[in-house]
Amino acid sequence: MTFDWPTALPLIFAGLMGLAILIYVILDGFDLGIGILFAAAEDSEQDTMIAAIGPFWDANETWLVLAVGLLLVAFPMAHGTILTALYIPVFLLLVGLILRGVAFDFRAKVPAGKKQRWNRIFFIGSATASLAQGYMLGVYVLGLDVGFGGMAFGALVALCLSAAYAAMGSAWLIYKTEGDLQVKAVRWLRTTLVLTALGMVAVSLATPYASPRIFDKWFLWPEILYLSPLPIVSALLFLWLWRQTFHLPRPDDSHALTPFLTLATIFALGFAGLAWSFYPFVVPDRLTIWQAASAPESLAFILVGTVVVLPIIIFYSFYAYRVFGGKATDLTYD
Amino acid sequence: MDPLILSRIQFGANISFHILFPAITIALGWVLLFFKLRYNATGDSAWMRAYFTWVKVFALSFAMGVVTGVTMSFQFGTNWPGYMQKVGNIAGPLLAYEILTAFFLEAAFLGIMLFGFRRVSNRIHTLATVLVAGGTTVSAFWIIALNSWMQTPAGFEMRDGVAHAVNWWAVIFNPSMPYRLVHMLLASGLTVSFLIAGLSALRYLVGDRSESMWKALRTGVFTAAILIPIQIFAGDQHGLNTLAHQPQKIAAMEANWNTGPNVPLVLFALPDEAAKENRFEITIPDGASLVLRHSASGVVPGLNDYPGNHPPVFPVFWGFRVMVGTGILMLIVSWSAAYFLKRRHSLPKPLALLMVPMTISGWVATLAGWYTTETGRQPWLVTGVLKTAEAVGPVAGSHVALTLAVYLILYVLLLIAYLGVLVHLALKAAKDGDASPLPGAMNAALSQQAAGE
Repeated sequence: MTFDWPTALPLIFAGLMGLAILIYVILDGFDLGIGILFAAAEDSEQDTMIAAIGPFWDANETWLVLAVGLLLVAFPMAHGTILTALYIPVFLLLVGLILRGVAFDFRAKVPAGKKQRWNRIFFIGSATASLAQGYMLGVYVLGLDVGFGGMAFGALVALCLSAAYAAMGSAWLIYKTEGDLQVKAVRWLRTTLVLTALGMVAVSLATPYASPRIFDKWFLWPEILYLSPLPIVSALLFLWLWRQTFHLPRPDDSHALTPFLTLATIFALGFAGLAWSFYPFVVPDRLTIWQAASAPESLAFILVGTVVVLPIIIFYSFYAYRVFGGKATDLTYD
Repeated sequence: MDPLILSRIQFGANISFHILFPAITIALGWVLLFFKLRYNATGDSAWMRAYFTWVKVFALSFAMGVVTGVTMSFQFGTNWPGYMQKVGNIAGPLLAYEILTAFFLEAAFLGIMLFGFRRVSNRIHTLATVLVAGGTTVSAFWIIALNSWMQTPAGFEMRDGVAHAVNWWAVIFNPSMPYRLVHMLLASGLTVSFLIAGLSALRYLVGDRSESMWKALRTGVFTAAILIPIQIFAGDQHGLNTLAHQPQKIAAMEANWNTGPNVPLVLFALPDEAAKENRFEITIPDGASLVLRHSASGVVPGLNDYPGNHPPVFPVFWGFRVMVGTGILMLIVSWSAAYFLKRRHSLPKPLALLMVPMTISGWVATLAGWYTTETGRQPWLVTGVLKTAEAVGPVAGSHVALTLAVYLILYVLLLIAYLGVLVHLALKAAKDGDASPLPGAMNAALSQQAAGE
């Protein structure tokens, strides 16, 4: 096979977009999750929870802008098709993101009496955004089916993805907090983990049954052999993490970051499975990445910048996380 | 209802609400850097108090800008899929570069700028402030490049009905881009100057005479007084550039129907498109010819040369007048305030009272200017390449009507909350005055504790 740019570029950009979505789901996953957990937290704990995500959420959300941006710029045909089909859920996602994004700041700046209102808005916004994302995922894996079955399945995935985000949020709190809140976070993780697992099983089963093409990609010999580690490793990680929730937090606070990393790995495995199912389509069974791609000279122009800038972005993102490493303390403007 | 007009209103509402906040953050980042550098140089804690008051406004405005900006990136697909399908090869890379070179930079270093003073060295914190301010400016560069390309497209060719870039330099630095970028950056500078001056005037009126109030007030007033004449000059140059490249827009801005010499400057009129004439006209003879051609016999383009192909006259004509009128008011207010501050070291009460509503004068002028230039581009989405009506998506009108209604309610409520917080922050700063406890930044004991974490 000879290497030619018009074939390679859409593939490279599909990979970059996938990477951006995965990083987004993991990073914004934990701060959306903390917003969902707001409903279960005491007033006194909420400030600490905000402090655990305050310096990061903005950069986390930027990965969504990058993912949608890449869809927009690399696969403009798909961007239009997917987003017009999902018009209302996209709208709900945006309203949710707007509400929670501004609530972050308003809750800290309004007169004390109005803080509670913005805490509620923060929860509502986070929950709405998570539910909308789950719903879109559900409808997407069924091939953008917006009939009754698609909507019902979308609703199920909406709940499970929100639970998965709450699990990520709990795992992040285990890493960033101490004392009672940390103990509470371990309990939250145990509960939400069950729904997370259920959601992954539901998506994994529904995807092949919705499309014979995807079924063949998974269940024919020898593919089934090569692919079997994906579900098996995921299942083992789930079980192991579930058991860990009975031993955390440890007295010396070791392994505080382990739940988060384990969940991130599970997310990555699940995402890899989805990517395998849908490749080479960007709109399921309708548009391949080559049919939907922009002109090669445009992709090449973006790629030059991406290759230079993306490593720098990743470098300074790590730096920002390192600056605010350790347990969350009160967040003040200083 | 018609999805086209609803989608246009929705996009207009979203982008209008969005631009309010970048208009603040672009310049406010640099003002914060100025406060910080003054503190570094003088050690005067009043500069740091001013910094801490305004960094809160920055954080809030930035969050508003981010979340409304995310909305924009989705709207291209949800409402205007035809846009990306036809000119995605041009628009896509410019947007991608904005995300890659600006958004991440701002977002990552904003955390350090807002919360990192005790965790990083003073030098790194200053650097973070520079990077955030620089990021907002780079962001403006890319988005203005794209917007200008839609006004005056260059450096591309059409193949099979789709635009392809042939010269990226010509795409980015298209004919109107440098003018528009300078005009917008200055607009941001003026918006922030009047915001700071106006809220400081409010503090002054409730009796605050603290050093940090004076420092912020002087910074706002003097910056405005310096920027406004530059802006008037830049705006004039931008207008001449528009005359060369989009004469039908100039014709609408001046409400001039017939091409010819000795065209008067219309101060007031109600343009009537059906009758192709102005009603209740008040004019200055030869004015438009003098302004646009610098000669009384200069030929000014008229709308009748562009039948069915010129923008709606009424909004463009009035948008332009609101912008220019606000600009003149800005000149008068900032120069008088600068005079009193410089010569008398005080601010007369009536002037302070006038400055409070002028807090949002930058918003008014910026929006009026954008309405002029964007409505002035109609019926084109991309001049000569794509009509707005061809780009709209296949979404039902009822869907768009629903989302539009919710967006409008949401935006009105958020705007009220935002302005409420600004006033609250100003009054709180006024109450605390120079006695406000400075955050840990100045507190050696706290820094030690933080370092030991």
